[in-house]
Amino acid sequence: MAYFYRVFFSFFLLLWVSVASGYTQQLNEPLVTGNYSNASFKSFVQDLEAKTAYTFYFDPAAVDSITVDFSVNAKSLSQVLNQALQGTNLHFAISKQKQVFITKGRPILTSLPENFFDKGSAIVGEKQPQFAAEQYMPQQESRKKAASEIKLYEIGTSNSNKTGKANLAGTLRDAMSGEPIIGAYVYIESPAIGTASDQYGYYSLTLPLGRHELKIRGVGLKNSRRQIILNGDGRLDIEIEEDVRSLKEVLVEAEKDRNVSGLQMGMERLDIRTIKQVPTAFGETDILRVVLTLPGVKSVGEGSTGMNVRGGSTDQNLILLNNATIYNPSHLFGFFSAFNPDVLKSVELYKSAVPAKYGGRLSSVLEITAREGNKKQFTGSGGIGLLTSRLTLEGPIKKDKTSFLVGGRTTYSDWLLKQLPNKSFNNSEASFYDVNAHISHEINDKNSLYFTGYLSKDRFKLAADTLYRFRNQNASIKWKHNFHNQLYSVLTGTYSHYSYDISNEGNAVNAATLTFGIDQTGLQADFNYFPNAKHTVDFGASSILYQVSPGSLMPNNSESLIIPDEIQREKALESAVYISDRYDVSQRLSLSFGLRYSVFNALGPRDVFTYAPGVPKTETTMADTVSYGSGKTIATYHGPEFRFSARYGVADNSSVKLSYNRLRQYVHMLSNTASMSPTDTWKLSDSNIKPQVGDQVALGYYRNFRANTIEFSAEGYYKWMQDFLDYRSGASIIMNHHIETDVANAEGKAYGLELMLKKATGKLNGWVSYTYSRTLVRINDSSTSEIINRGEYYPGNFDKPHDFTLISNYRFSQRFSTSLNFTYNTGRPITLPLAKYYDGETQRILYSDRNQYRIPDYYRLDFAMNIEGNHKIQKLAHSSWTLAVYNLTGRKNPYSIYFKSENGKIRGYKMSIFGQPIPTITYNFKF
Amino acid sequence: MNLLNGNKLIGWLLMLLVSSCVEPFTPEVLEAPNNYLVVNGFINVNGPTTIQLLRTQNLADEGLPPAEKNATVTIETDNGESYRLSETTNGIYEIENLNLNPTHKYRLFISTSKGKKYASDFVEVKQTPAIDEVTWKPVDREVQIYVSTHDSNNNSRYYRWNYESTWHFRSAFYTNLKYENGEVLFRDENDENIYDCWKTENSTTIELSNSIRLSQDVISNYKLLTLPYNSEKIAIKYSILVKQYALTPEAYKYWETLKKNTENIGTLFDPLPSQITSNIRCLSDPQEPVIGYISASTVQEKRIFIDSKELPKDWKTFAPVCYSDTMYLSRHSVVDYFKEGYNIPINGIYPQGSPFPIGYSYASKGCVDCTVWGTNVKPDFWE
Repeated sequence: MAYFYRVFFSFFLLLWVSVASGYTQQLNEPLVTGNYSNASFKSFVQDLEAKTAYTFYFDPAAVDSITVDFSVNAKSLSQVLNQALQGTNLHFAISKQKQVFITKGRPILTSLPENFFDKGSAIVGEKQPQFAAEQYMPQQESRKKAASEIKLYEIGTSNSNKTGKANLAGTLRDAMSGEPIIGAYVYIESPAIGTASDQYGYYSLTLPLGRHELKIRGVGLKNSRRQIILNGDGRLDIEIEEDVRSLKEVLVEAEKDRNVSGLQMGMERLDIRTIKQVPTAFGETDILRVVLTLPGVKSVGEGSTGMNVRGGSTDQNLILLNNATIYNPSHLFGFFSAFNPDVLKSVELYKSAVPAKYGGRLSSVLEITAREGNKKQFTGSGGIGLLTSRLTLEGPIKKDKTSFLVGGRTTYSDWLLKQLPNKSFNNSEASFYDVNAHISHEINDKNSLYFTGYLSKDRFKLAADTLYRFRNQNASIKWKHNFHNQLYSVLTGTYSHYSYDISNEGNAVNAATLTFGIDQTGLQADFNYFPNAKHTVDFGASSILYQVSPGSLMPNNSESLIIPDEIQREKALESAVYISDRYDVSQRLSLSFGLRYSVFNALGPRDVFTYAPGVPKTETTMADTVSYGSGKTIATYHGPEFRFSARYGVADNSSVKLSYNRLRQYVHMLSNTASMSPTDTWKLSDSNIKPQVGDQVALGYYRNFRANTIEFSAEGYYKWMQDFLDYRSGASIIMNHHIETDVANAEGKAYGLELMLKKATGKLNGWVSYTYSRTLVRINDSSTSEIINRGEYYPGNFDKPHDFTLISNYRFSQRFSTSLNFTYNTGRPITLPLAKYYDGETQRILYSDRNQYRIPDYYRLDFAMNIEGNHKIQKLAHSSWTLAVYNLTGRKNPYSIYFKSENGKIRGYKMSIFGQPIPTITYNFKF
Repeated sequence: MNLLNGNKLIGWLLMLLVSSCVEPFTPEVLEAPNNYLVVNGFINVNGPTTIQLLRTQNLADEGLPPAEKNATVTIETDNGESYRLSETTNGIYEIENLNLNPTHKYRLFISTSKGKKYASDFVEVKQTPAIDEVTWKPVDREVQIYVSTHDSNNNSRYYRWNYESTWHFRSAFYTNLKYENGEVLFRDENDENIYDCWKTENSTTIELSNSIRLSQDVISNYKLLTLPYNSEKIAIKYSILVKQYALTPEAYKYWETLKKNTENIGTLFDPLPSQITSNIRCLSDPQEPVIGYISASTVQEKRIFIDSKELPKDWKTFAPVCYSDTMYLSRHSVVDYFKEGYNIPINGIYPQGSPFPIGYSYASKGCVDCTVWGTNVKPDFWE
């Protein structure tokens, strides 16, 4: 134990260099005489401590291999120690207070530099000052974990040039958990230079040489600063403490200034803390539900997590969980999102100005980042709700180096269904679970490895004989390598799998299982290069191999008469290279240019139908079947994707931003229903299906008020989309061997204005947003001769012009807060059967123009209360209760409008889910 | 909240998921009276033309479709000639064979009694090639009926068919008795035949095919319909009259869209249908929807018969299922039993050796009188 304290103490001293101690090594040292024969270092030290008045401090583990085997006669202590430590990696330092510190790698300093307190002249002095830090960190570039606000950290080796610039880079980490901090601002005020940490917590700044006060701001962090002297390129890893008070409020502080000063537009970053404030139908924190409250994001209806971003369809969103694509982001048809809130860190949504790094989807990128796990200590958290429970465990495998995080979530609705007195419920099943696992390992200063695994499964059977099963499987492995301060690379391998099967077992004769699956394997290399203060260059390449099993229908017992049917598998390779440069022209003007070039090869083996030219592709115009061998290219598409954005700072607190981007999409979701449905399938582009192309220009004005506490943004956009797929009349999507005969190429345009006012701090916080947007689609396709609504533009399925959202939180005390949310939007368009008529003797239905009418408007009011336990930092478990009422007014918002022919009469029905106030209670804990 | 309540709540929540909360929904537009013009028929170049004018009905309406009466319906030629159709019955307008010149284009012009004017586009005349054959074969316990045609000029390419099915059927029970004026009497030759009947039905599906992908304009064995082995239609003898129409690509598109817009509307995951575009327009209000598509063509017909004797021997063909009952004169009067006509006597019940019945077996009218279901007039074409 004594050694432990000594070690601890010496460690302490390393950080808090004793101010009073002097840097004198050989003055007045005692002379030592002794005879050591194969003595352990410990006994050697004990002997020295006995012979001299000096006290030794060392790490026993570091010296246990050392034996001392020599005799000395009246040598100074330093000489003796030199001899003893010769050939080892150990160094010693002797302080004025008669302390001897044995350290590994380098000697510690026992005194401050001579002119430490003479700050003003510190760097202008003629004589090169000897700073403590420099001694401590010799030539080899090594890392510091800067935790002190008052200590002066010296970066780089000094040289005579005092006027140039140097690069400072490092990682921001949470002092408690050791997890990287994403999106925190690192900046100096004069001159104003700053950057935000990336998803690895990494930052890189090019600053003038000299002394600076580095400030760090971030969500839920204590505002912090570090004193640095920059002599040359160097690293500074910063550990920051969490702001415990932040439990109480939604802090969006990382973005405090981002709204105005960041170059990126059309991007929303939500921290998990923000997300947890928003009440949801089942009391379960739901990231997608919160994303849907953001301006420009809509869904066709509640209970569906299919997002429509700025008029794009639901398949046009690239949803990434730690870089791996998620195809089905929801559980139970969209009633729950597929992501466990406890393992998530943040969510970033790009609606416009999509960085060149991303591609493959037309409308948006939703990047979900999972936490890395606590690197310092073992902790856990969880929640118990009415329908689901979750548990997350995390901790270090090797302290500060390797950490793990495992999170699981499941529902017990199955068990509950069995308890119900209703027969049809007893026969129902509704279950899901998801598991996240994450391991991050720091190999050394320059190399880190991250592994993420994700699995989600659904089983759904409701009073019927049809069983639905869904499965997501994802894995990603990342290797981050720092070449030097200004260049790092991330090599990522990803695997995504999504499949479902639907089994019908009710009637033995037609019992069958329908399956669909898509696999995606990707490899990508991304490089970030910070050549100087004005430029940030990203470049890289990626390649994705898709393998799709578009469907198979198999009898699932011997009595079944279903004829086995399987659609040919599809295979394709999507590759891209990209480069982008962010150029900060001046304090006011920043530009970003990006180019991505993507190539898509549809690959064999496959038999492809060809169609008679110049006539619609239908079953009856099939001309021929062409067989392609394995690996042979069926069709190739390629093209550049330009990305551009610019920011001009009008004043300190306001700016104007402009962006243009083009994206290409080679995979398509086939859905002929308005919402995401369980039978949606994905289709790869091929010789009959062209890729989709989308362009967007956006212009925005941003202004912050009252010391950045209130943010205002106004963004307008105009978007063109070509060749996205819409279904033809009466299309069949399931088990279709020639899907091209049932789809039409649509073109779309979308425009809108998004206004948002956000108050990030204070007792009352939240945001108000209003969006006016239109989404118009035109199908006037000569190749299919499919003409909808006379070839005119008509409202898309998710065209909801007016959308108003209020998210508000009010904190009564540190432990009690409430939130009240209100959503209103125009009802979505619908095609109505207008009349019936007789064609000869057959009754037929006359439909309106497509999407000519609208379902009733949607509005909903939710209320939630959070009650926190006490805020003692040290206690067994922190817990909180969330009481929420979803749809407080009980409005019966239509989920689905449909028409049924009953006894020869056609009647309309409106189905509402959540058509009553739904109270929920959730208990959350953290230990 | 105790667990019990929690349970109830969850059950309730899941109930929302399962049965949800379904309410009738009638948008205003559906309640608003709508009666768009419906035009059925085509311009027959080598035979009498029949055009039916109807009106659409609200979805909830139960009555028969209202006919558009007293309209002026004319066939107009692109060189200015016009032929007026005359109204025969409600909404049916007819004209005899006009022997129209196939090199001209024709349109239908309608002026309603309220003075609204409608006109179709001028359409070219399609000469329909003759039907090569109508064949059938038993496959997997059903009869499949095919049509084949060809156009050696390669001009037709797009085809539509409809057909008229006629079949011979019999009542479940043969009777030689009748009820008349309070008595049960024997039937004689003056009484109408109520045992053997024929029924005719028009096709209700839209049958289309084309030969675009073929080097020759040939339709080979297009499957028109199937009849299950136990269908009443093939129990005795069945006949089908197939009518063939050559179409323009536009007309084909119209019918194809209408075909795909099936009656299949309803569930959550059904596709939304899309509307179809007529080639008939209201001249005063081009936005007003008009239903129907006018083509001009010749018609080709072919009839075949299928005798049940030709069907596979192991097929257990349709036999009507009916039950008979017995009444005894000692307990009931024939008047009570047969006056209303719901029941018809089948056989007398005679005690051994007695010529006087003590009762009758009887069955409901539909089991004995085939005219309830069809006509006892043998069609002219019946062989």
